[in-house]
Amino acid sequence: MRAVRTDYTGYEGKYVAVDARTRQVVLAYEDPRVLLREAEKLRGVIVHGRVPLPGELRHRIG
Amino acid sequence: MASSSMVVFRFPASFVTALADQRPRIYSYVEEAEVRRLGRPVLRPLVPVSFAVGDRFTAHLDGLVDTGADAVLAGDLLADRLGLDLSENEGETTHAVGGRVLTARYKTVRLRLHPYGDLDGAIHREWPAQVGFVAGWHDYGFVLLGSVGFLDRVTVTASRFAQAVAVEHRDAFDQRFDTGPV
Repeated sequence: MRAVRTDYTGYEGKYVAVDARTRQVVLAYEDPRVLLREAEKLRGVIVHGRVPLPGELRHRIG
Repeated sequence: MASSSMVVFRFPASFVTALADQRPRIYSYVEEAEVRRLGRPVLRPLVPVSFAVGDRFTAHLDGLVDTGADAVLAGDLLADRLGLDLSENEGETTHAVGGRVLTARYKTVRLRLHPYGDLDGAIHREWPAQVGFVAGWHDYGFVLLGSVGFLDRVTVTASRFAQAVAVEHRDAFDQRFDTGPV
């Protein structure tokens, strides 16, 4: 099985939701609240999160 | 009609559903093109989940499976979508992350695991889970799937080699390795 590849080029700094099968970006907003609200209206969409800016470090909770 | 030599078993639909539920669900790892380590792509074990409270529910969300995390944690914007008042919570904990101290406020919600590539809103499994909602935590993903609330409800087998994650019923581990009662 191969990992599903994503490409968020052009969406840096935005919050995105992707197609559940293709992982192509279908929604992108600067405000995460808007993304969560709009994604609830669509089927087959998964909210991913924020696309980092180039070189940006990301921290996780563990 | 069954003949006299046939034995016909009839099971309620719920039993059939329960049997079908024993099948492992396979989820591909997700390669994030914009993240690389030592020149190689980073693959992440993401599974589609959502939260529900009453008749309110969130969108489907990428849930990062994290065996090193003790809890299920989520951004507090999801609590807003569910209409939860986090000032009336079931407890608080603090986490040190990247030099910051974050507070998680816990509420019990229904955690839903969805099939891979789901296009029709199907639910593979659902259970009540205590989720720690963290204020302002949405810089990367919205949901972290740790031990209590996720890994105590399902058996997860993750393989970077196979580039996939398998999610099975929680007794699968004991059945496979005969670890005996806890």
